[in-house]
Amino acid sequence: MTAVLEVKNTGIRFGGLVALEAVDVTVPEWEIVGLIGPNGAGKTTLFNCIMGAYTPNTGEIIYRDRDISLLPTHRRTALGIGRTFQNIGLVRGLTVIENFMVAQHSRIGYGSLSAILGSPRSFAEERRLRANAMEVLDFIGLPHLANSKLDGLPYGTLKLIEVGTVLATDPDLLLLDEPSSGMGPDEAHQFGERLLELRKTLNLTVLMIEHHVPLVVGVCDYVYVLNFGKLLTEGRPDAVRTHPEVIAAYLGGSVEDESGEAEPGSEETLDVTA
Amino acid sequence: MATATEAVTLPAGQAAADRWRPTTAGWVARIGVLLGIFAAVLWVTAAVKPFWADRIALAVIYAIIGLSLNIVLGYVGQVSLGHHGFVGIAAFVAAYYVTEKAGCTPEGGCNMGAFLTGMVLAAASGAIAAGLLGVVALRIKGLYLALITLAYGFVAETSIFEISFLTRGGSGMPAARPNTFDSDTQFAFLTFVFLALVLYLDWRLVRSKVGRAILSLKHSEPVAASYGINVTAFKVIAFIMSGLFAGIGGGLYAFRSESVVSNDFQFAIALLWVLMVVIGGLGNRTGVVIGSAFFALFPFLVESIPGAEHFFADTLGRSASYLPLVIGPALAILTLIQFPGGIAEQISPITRWIRGEKFSMHPEGHGGHGEGHGDKKHGGLMAKLGLHKNEEEATEASTEEIKQDTEPVLAAQPEEPQGSAGHDDPKENR
Amino acid sequence: MRTTIVAAVIAVIVGIILILGSGDTSGPNAPIIIGLLTGTAYGLVAIGLVLVYKGARVFNFAQGEFGTLAAFIVYVLIEQVRSPEIPYWVAIIVAVVSVVLIGLIMERVVVRPLMNAPRITLLVATIAFALLAIGVEIMIFLPEAKDLPRIIDPLNQAGNPVGPEIYGFTIEPQLLLIVGILLVLAVVLGYFFSKTDLGLAILATSQDAFATRVVGIGVERVSRFIWGSAAFLGAVAGILYIPPSLPLTPGIMTAGVLIASFTAAVIGGMTSLPGAFLGGITVGLIQQIAQWAGGHYQIGEKFIQEIIPGSANVAVLLALLLVLLIRPQGLLGSEA
Repeated sequence: MTAVLEVKNTGIRFGGLVALEAVDVTVPEWEIVGLIGPNGAGKTTLFNCIMGAYTPNTGEIIYRDRDISLLPTHRRTALGIGRTFQNIGLVRGLTVIENFMVAQHSRIGYGSLSAILGSPRSFAEERRLRANAMEVLDFIGLPHLANSKLDGLPYGTLKLIEVGTVLATDPDLLLLDEPSSGMGPDEAHQFGERLLELRKTLNLTVLMIEHHVPLVVGVCDYVYVLNFGKLLTEGRPDAVRTHPEVIAAYLGGSVEDESGEAEPGSEETLDVTA
Repeated sequence: MATATEAVTLPAGQAAADRWRPTTAGWVARIGVLLGIFAAVLWVTAAVKPFWADRIALAVIYAIIGLSLNIVLGYVGQVSLGHHGFVGIAAFVAAYYVTEKAGCTPEGGCNMGAFLTGMVLAAASGAIAAGLLGVVALRIKGLYLALITLAYGFVAETSIFEISFLTRGGSGMPAARPNTFDSDTQFAFLTFVFLALVLYLDWRLVRSKVGRAILSLKHSEPVAASYGINVTAFKVIAFIMSGLFAGIGGGLYAFRSESVVSNDFQFAIALLWVLMVVIGGLGNRTGVVIGSAFFALFPFLVESIPGAEHFFADTLGRSASYLPLVIGPALAILTLIQFPGGIAEQISPITRWIRGEKFSMHPEGHGGHGEGHGDKKHGGLMAKLGLHKNEEEATEASTEEIKQDTEPVLAAQPEEPQGSAGHDDPKENR
Repeated sequence: MRTTIVAAVIAVIVGIILILGSGDTSGPNAPIIIGLLTGTAYGLVAIGLVLVYKGARVFNFAQGEFGTLAAFIVYVLIEQVRSPEIPYWVAIIVAVVSVVLIGLIMERVVVRPLMNAPRITLLVATIAFALLAIGVEIMIFLPEAKDLPRIIDPLNQAGNPVGPEIYGFTIEPQLLLIVGILLVLAVVLGYFFSKTDLGLAILATSQDAFATRVVGIGVERVSRFIWGSAAFLGAVAGILYIPPSLPLTPGIMTAGVLIASFTAAVIGGMTSLPGAFLGGITVGLIQQIAQWAGGHYQIGEKFIQEIIPGSANVAVLLALLLVLLIRPQGLLGSEA
């Protein structure tokens, strides 16, 4: 089994603050790998390093045996890394279908100049993009929302649309940042089922930040635990869940989080006694 | 997942599948109205005295400049207070070329080839000047970029426009019109051709991947980049397109006045242009054209009211041409506070009808186009100005903020070593 | 601490140039003195800009026009109202009070409704207000330049210039008055921001919008105070600076002072009051030295100013760009 993504010895500092230190994460082909840890542990920072939003001070990011550490974000997207955001990465000024069309940006077969001049090719491509977008919308079951504005749509729907747009970038490797946030237990369970299905139909590899423990246990093949920017432990979900240091980290973390804005109940979902 | 329940909870009127479509007769009526408006504008231009045709040409040039500013203000979400720099540079380049290089004279006029070359050079010089600003805009944003543009325009005004070989000092650089379009009426029709070109380019810009990329950048650069958009390239492209339009406007400005003087391009005019775009409606092509034309024609319209000139000149002792200097800003303030959608929002029942929707005074819950209306107060303008949230005052409870970033310290200041000064960093998106 | 260091560095550099250039009347010494004095006026306007930025997080483009409006009001009272003859000091008080009222009206009508709007919207609104003020000035006073007499006559009865003389250049007493007033304001503002509840509340607003509510001082009161005092500072700057330095025409403080003052505020870090003052002096010096150099040095056969006209403004733009690109938090960015 080959590794799709290897994060090697990655570290990043902001001023005096060490956000990540010597983190190693490997995501093998066709696996769903979980990334857990208390708030502020550096999970989203790691995603930002993988996507190129931040440049790590140390280490390298290897994608399919290629060092992508110095590539800008859009090149990484073109290579097949798709990413969702914690607070919904959608373009709010555009309609739902337009979001799906922007998401196909790196696969558009016309140049900027021919777009502005209005070449016949660009018109044909636009029709194809729209058709593709409708196809993905059908796939996620929201074709009726094609021409809606994003404002006013329910949070869960937006989350789903976001996952859909990332799928429209045609990713190989999907980075999901807390996909189940804002969902109830049933919805989260359904989402897990859906994700397993997606992996099968689209041949996806997934790295996912998630707080919701039943979801992590239910879908993840392997789990990494981050705490204070360092890897605390890693292993099979069942093993990690009962790891004493993990329990300690979450309990310690929950004290800090009282001032935080995270959704209530995220800590409770980690059943310490289980 | 749970799509069935969500579909049920959706507000009515958002279903697109059974969207209302006009009948054939309805389409004919719509196209008829549109053609009627075009025909009326052209007929008026042909019928009025040359004095008014000249004013119409100015209105068209303002519309082109408005569309240029609209790219920066409406699509990119930044403020340019130095547009008189781009327009002025382009005007002088066009005038310099036809007079000094192509040998056009006010008496002998200009041939069409020289005129077109002059226009191309004007557009190119505007694009280059704005492209440079675009490179600066990669690092500096928001209020600070506004300041840079102001200083840039000021430098253009006091430095570039004073270079004597280019501008011939205070006397101005002649720019003879092409012989076939020498009269004011003919020239007005020529400006319409260029307006059509700019409108077409702007339409393609918005409705292609370029426009979608630029609008995405405005809302969130990280999201845009994760969609595969080259943030650097498209930001510069946006400024280049804006400069291109400004250059076309500047070139036409030169040929309209037939002699370019640096006094025409002072920073107050750039500020007024910003206001006319805001009043027209940011990001809305139709609104911007109407707003800009209104600003260009308004002073002359006031003067042409019977008795108005007498009233202003004799009773008040003031020229009516000063009136817009007061009315314009007052309208702008009113627009910002009360009608953030500008003229575009006020006329949106008509524009939506022409686009093929039912006539109604209230916008429906969806819009299938990239321009967007200001549907609600501030919300619309906010969205258009591209500030999806204000980092210091997260007052707007939006879905985006339901889930706060759980790593605020790290997320807010990725590049700034000194955390304490982070909130003053002009590089941050604001 | 950093304030002292930066001030000392500027003082040392200026001192060295002055000593090196002493005795040379065509040297940069006279421009340096002028630069210091005009820089003080820029600093005065810049302090108003910083105050608004601290409280409202917006660049106030109307800051310059507060000054022009005040100068016009003074002009009306002492030049156009003939009976009874109004003393200069009464005119100043009336003008300052009126402009503070205008500032409060602006706060109520323009700023308050847009308090929660994006900052760029508010920025455009301040531009609109500045243009409205210029429009009203043109309507009432016409574009022609007016001559506003100085508070302190620069000539004595014999017609000779009064005031201290350095390097053959006589310093206008009124410019020295600006320096004096600025020093007084510096002390008052320093006390205000370190000792009074309202001052501390404004500092809190600039750190965190919600902090003021916690402190128990209304956001609206802070906002009123900020715009009122910004108008006050603008008015004082206009009344003092226009008579000796600029023709009184509509929009003159916006066209002639505002950009330099913004640059000053940015160099100072946009939130630092001492920074704004030092930034003002820096910009004044840069302008004057660049202008002097433009007419003093040659490239080939031509003077620099023949090749690049307006070298003073080019230098200011370059300074602004450099600061924003290299040290965006300014020289004194994090200090209050």
